[in-house]
Amino acid sequence: MKKTKFSYILLTAVALVVSSCGNKLDLKPYQSIDQDAALTTSKDVEAALIGAYDALGEYYVWGGQIQMSADLLSASSELQWRGTFVDPGQFYDKKILVNNAYSANIWLNSYATINICNNVLANLDKVEAAKKNRIQGEALFIRGSVYFELVRLFAKTWGDGDNTANPGVPLVLSPTSEINNGSYVKRNSVAEVYAKVLEDLTTAETLLPDAATTSTSGKMTGQATKWAAASILSRVYLMQQNYTAARDAANRVIQSNRYALNQEYESSFNLVNMNSSENIFSTQVTSQDGDNSLRTFYSIQSRGDIYVTQSHINEYEAGDERLNLFTQDGEDFFTDKFSTIYSNVPVVRLAEMYLTRAEANFRLNSTTGATPLADLNLIRNRVGLSNLTSGTLSLNAILKERKLELMFEGHLLHDLKRTRRSIGSAAYNANNLVFPIPQRETDVNSSLVQNPGYN
Amino acid sequence: MRKLLHFCVFLGTLLSGFSTIAQDHTVTGKVTSSEDGTPLVGVSIQVKGTSQGVNSNATGEYRISVPNNATLVFSFVGMDRKEVAVGNQTVINVELGTDNQQLSEVVVTGFGSQIKRDVTGNIAKVDSKKLENIPSPSFEAALQGNAAGVQITQGNGKLGQGISVRVRGTSSISASSQPLYVVDGVPINTQNLSSNSAPTNPISDLNPQDIESLEILKDASAGAIYGARAANGVVLITTKRGKSGKTNVNAGFQYGFSKPTRLRDYMNASEWLSYFKVAAENTGSTNSLNALITRSAAGTEAGKNTYDWQRAAFQDAPFSQTDLNISGGNEKTKFYVSGQYLDQKGILIKNSLERFSGRINLDHKANNWLSIGMNMSLARTLQNRVSNDNAFSTPMQAVAIPPITPLIDPRTGLVSGTPPGVSANFPIYYNPFISANYSDYKTLVFRNISNVYGQIDFSKSLSFRSELGVDLLNQNENSYYGTQTVRNVTGAANGLGESRYSQVMNYNTNNYFSYNKVLGDVHSLTATLGMSYQETRVDGNFVEGQQFPSNAYRQIASAADITGGSSTRSQFSFVSYFLRANYKLADKYLVGLSGRVDGSSRFGNNSKYGFFPAISGGWILSEESFLQNSNALSFLKLRASYGLTGNAEIGNFPALGLWSSSGYAGVAGQSPDQLRNSNLKWENTTQTDIGIDYGILNNRINGEIDYYVKNTNALLLTVNVPGTSGYPDQVRNVGRMRNQGFEFTLNSQNLVGAFKWSTSINISNNKNRVREIDKSPSGDPVPIIGGFDQVNRAYPGQPLGAFYMLEYAGVDRTNGDALYYRNDTEGDRSTTNDPNEARRVFVGSPLPTWFGGITNNFSYAGFDLSILFNGQFGNKVYMAGGKFEMASGDYYDNHLASELDYWTPENPNASSPQPRLFGANGTAVSSRFLSDASYVRLRNVSFGYTLPQNLVNRIKVSRVRIYALAQNLLTFTKYKGWDPEVSTDANTGNIAAGQDFYSAPQAKTLTVGLQIGF
Repeated sequence: MKKTKFSYILLTAVALVVSSCGNKLDLKPYQSIDQDAALTTSKDVEAALIGAYDALGEYYVWGGQIQMSADLLSASSELQWRGTFVDPGQFYDKKILVNNAYSANIWLNSYATINICNNVLANLDKVEAAKKNRIQGEALFIRGSVYFELVRLFAKTWGDGDNTANPGVPLVLSPTSEINNGSYVKRNSVAEVYAKVLEDLTTAETLLPDAATTSTSGKMTGQATKWAAASILSRVYLMQQNYTAARDAANRVIQSNRYALNQEYESSFNLVNMNSSENIFSTQVTSQDGDNSLRTFYSIQSRGDIYVTQSHINEYEAGDERLNLFTQDGEDFFTDKFSTIYSNVPVVRLAEMYLTRAEANFRLNSTTGATPLADLNLIRNRVGLSNLTSGTLSLNAILKERKLELMFEGHLLHDLKRTRRSIGSAAYNANNLVFPIPQRETDVNSSLVQNPGYN
Repeated sequence: MRKLLHFCVFLGTLLSGFSTIAQDHTVTGKVTSSEDGTPLVGVSIQVKGTSQGVNSNATGEYRISVPNNATLVFSFVGMDRKEVAVGNQTVINVELGTDNQQLSEVVVTGFGSQIKRDVTGNIAKVDSKKLENIPSPSFEAALQGNAAGVQITQGNGKLGQGISVRVRGTSSISASSQPLYVVDGVPINTQNLSSNSAPTNPISDLNPQDIESLEILKDASAGAIYGARAANGVVLITTKRGKSGKTNVNAGFQYGFSKPTRLRDYMNASEWLSYFKVAAENTGSTNSLNALITRSAAGTEAGKNTYDWQRAAFQDAPFSQTDLNISGGNEKTKFYVSGQYLDQKGILIKNSLERFSGRINLDHKANNWLSIGMNMSLARTLQNRVSNDNAFSTPMQAVAIPPITPLIDPRTGLVSGTPPGVSANFPIYYNPFISANYSDYKTLVFRNISNVYGQIDFSKSLSFRSELGVDLLNQNENSYYGTQTVRNVTGAANGLGESRYSQVMNYNTNNYFSYNKVLGDVHSLTATLGMSYQETRVDGNFVEGQQFPSNAYRQIASAADITGGSSTRSQFSFVSYFLRANYKLADKYLVGLSGRVDGSSRFGNNSKYGFFPAISGGWILSEESFLQNSNALSFLKLRASYGLTGNAEIGNFPALGLWSSSGYAGVAGQSPDQLRNSNLKWENTTQTDIGIDYGILNNRINGEIDYYVKNTNALLLTVNVPGTSGYPDQVRNVGRMRNQGFEFTLNSQNLVGAFKWSTSINISNNKNRVREIDKSPSGDPVPIIGGFDQVNRAYPGQPLGAFYMLEYAGVDRTNGDALYYRNDTEGDRSTTNDPNEARRVFVGSPLPTWFGGITNNFSYAGFDLSILFNGQFGNKVYMAGGKFEMASGDYYDNHLASELDYWTPENPNASSPQPRLFGANGTAVSSRFLSDASYVRLRNVSFGYTLPQNLVNRIKVSRVRIYALAQNLLTFTKYKGWDPEVSTDANTGNIAAGQDFYSAPQAKTLTVGLQIGF
């Protein structure tokens, strides 16, 4: 039969079998790029900085859980956790298990944020000269702020024993490109962490601009300014009971005249696609991106898992306009500070700066910027309350005003700790008021020492 | 490596002797049954040692062209195999007797087939009979209890869910452990495209009634031809084809209904009230409780009526299926055409599946050297789905709502909790029945699995086959959440809609030579050599919108605010070259060799290619003179095989260090999202198999016994890394795992004659052990964890996914505290009531050590009865919902009635701790919530009656059978949850095994049906 024809067919068949498809194996991902190609231009590094803001604004960082977990830990009779999520319930019960997923995620997401900042800081040489200060300042602001949150939650309070001996959190200051022996870090001391936080924020304050500049696309709002850095600095100093530095930092923010108290207390909250004149720093939420996990749990419009009790309501004086920000449901109350969907998470408001300056001036018996009484009355008048007099002004009055003004915004636990007040039956330095180092971390990295009270 | 292969291809070509072209003459004849002389239809008549063959037609006649000196092989399932030397004969009539041993059965081996007698690997075959009439949309159900070494777990009672299939154990930790599925030569896509975490089952787009046979390649020698893709076994699916002769028309109709296998016993309203009164008194929380009772009772008298939230989660679940298939043809062209309509409601409210499917298979013989053909199937599957198990909106979570809460709020007349309600926190949890009323989640899939082939017979010994296949999957997921669901769906205040479109384009080509040569009478060589290429691309689009004018508008076109959108793409490719040779000496000594080189885009440049060889041998002892005359032992074959296979199912780019987009407030941003590991390589499995095929008493009793050891090395794992690095985890090759076990099958014709009784038994044992996990610098094995509450572990010396948790020590008789063993040292039996003071220990395995099935078939005078029991033993299940419903009154969830035996000073020996509202008494993750999940189940019973031939002939049909079927009729178990056959869809993976979280029980299905053949 047709031998030649068969031979041709056979050759074609052989060609089919041996045809090389090797180049078909070089496929690349479509939605991601290689890490080596990620940071080559100034624009790349700027984009990474935006990525750091994105990480900072996530659910478990300043998207809400850093604040909320502290508030649940500070709750005794004025708040109740009634949700089903086991992990926040453990904060409220002050029985945190080492495998608590929320504290583990706060740790993980905070360090992910820090790693992005470290990437930005390690690639500043690629940034256009005109932008360099700002970009470095913003990255330092984010890194310093996150380390401050971590050391407050996962370590003993400043001054509770020896700060240089008490373990803080590991300081990781360079970007991770691979896992090697250097990745198995130890905890730095509380003192070392605070020192780094102060360094980052102080440098940030000098580098950052007075006002948020518009970004490349012109759409960005809510970047950190010099005053945002000074605000967080005032918190750090307050935590260290360094009232002079705390006062001065707060005073710098107030006297910058970049910010003003809103006429209405409620105007600082539930802001969608905008920030008010009172908001010094907020994490930005849109309908497409960003988290406001305070809304998720506090708002009756959402899960409504955190109930406010009558005894908290009783703390307010009659006529206090801050009471307008509650919804009553039978015998229970819910805060309305975070009820609008896709609203920004307020992190620092100007009111805090007045209260910090008032407290520090009061303690130091000074009047830097204004008298403590004037600052406190500014806050009181704004919500329709009458003036205190120098006779009724006291540290307790200032601290109570601070509690009511900043309630649900993540301050109470740290204010109680720094003023050495108890929470229910637990002393300020009780073991169960400090998060455990997450089990997933101690499992992976045996260099990490667990906190007292946890196995 | 590739160069070497190319050379081999040429060498093979030269040796194949293609220049000898056959000289043919024609043989005709008739095949009849030796029992009653009736013509046998569809008998395979093959020229020995070649792939050349025909089938007998409707009158048993055949016509075939044969070369000189040919031998014809007559074979037919269930009949003796007969070989006839043609010589000068032109008419050969043959009688075939009934065969008990099925050794002559043809087994599909991947790029070829072999008769079972000559197989040296381990291949389990399940034929179409087992697939008939199973009232399930997916064929895996038919494997359950029918194939040794193959463990099937249907996740739960939702429809169209992923089904876990494990061939000889779980051989991977992070990579997929599902077998490779190949339909008529096309490796099909089994990637789950579901947008909620509950996986769907892409296999369910295949109509089980179209399947002629399923072959499961279990050992390395069988699997190595699929190289890097065979470590989890390979399931070869062969669809039905036409046979020449009379056109057969078969129609089937099945109708039935399903209900849950079991309901659990929860507290009734008065039990709940009295229990929680005690719980609240014990912690001074009576005020909180009273407020909750007032709110929950919704104006009714609390405790007067019990509202059964569990029962409300279920619905009447009718099932109907209509089948029609037509097949036939002549010697040149054969066809098989089929269609099916299946309509099934799930046992859970709002869950249903509807499928239309059609198939055309064509074969055409163009001339004596060229055959061509095609298979084409099209399916449209529409599912109404429910949320995954870990969602308040899934119907099963309704069981948590206290039984004093009315289902319908008497104050509004609406489903309780429908806004605008009286209280936003009523009922205590979001009521899933609001979602049932006001939301939709529809998944519509179009699936086309098709291929064309051409085969050229160059000579009687050499042929070439080229196949080109596509597997195209289009999936549309549309969901809408009405304004009433706002408590559950953030953003649904004015309606929220999502539309998600995914397309998987998978094309594949196989090109291979087959060579068959019989040399003299003693040597027989068959060989296969070829290549295949597969490329798969997955495209996805997604859009989300909010602000709908009303619930009457449900398309995104009506949304005023487009709140999300994206499009994504990903792809992978495989290039493979393979070779297999089987040599048979004197019909008793068998040797098989195979090898495959696989390259994949999934791996880094350091390890793009892998080589997967295997060797096997067989010795048919019963052919030896010393056994030939044995009366009892009619067949005995020893088999052994050793080989290497791989696993590449780990996602598409795990080796790369990647950054991806992370915008903020509408501004473009980027951030790292994957750690680099350029040394990432194939996960590989070496497997040794030793087996015996036996036949006793003229093969009336026959079966197989196998022992295997399967060692997986370079396990691909997503390993936790220190979070301080900025990353949670990384994919690494970090360990070794072993599966070893034995399989035993026995088929027995207990009674033959008018009353027939046969039994098939298969028993499998598998011992899984993680052998080694890389150590972190601390010296401990890198922790690999999974499952709800992270209770599953991969730890050296333990089975994969072993439960690692606190060990519950029961109730403190003095004060009602829940106790845990401290386990400070091994064997430390001291107890503590503080879970933070106790250490976790290994308390059990989620993997069964034994499983199997027994089928008994009876037939008499047209009646047939088949009964299948299957079971599995030695595994435990973690009831992750236990900390809510066996929580000692920690929170208001309805509790199981078993908690009513609680500690009081008067009842110090109670089984449950003292109830304490908000008291967390015994709620820590512990073995308190672990339960033995061994079971034996009456899986299938079918009872049918085939009408007598003379009766049906009168009404001009050829066959009529009526039947009734029952699935999951009875279950014997100690499991405390709903159903021991469970795997939650909210937390899936190899490590996260043995997890139950409000997972729906399996369905118990009863159907009746009718089959008519024309």
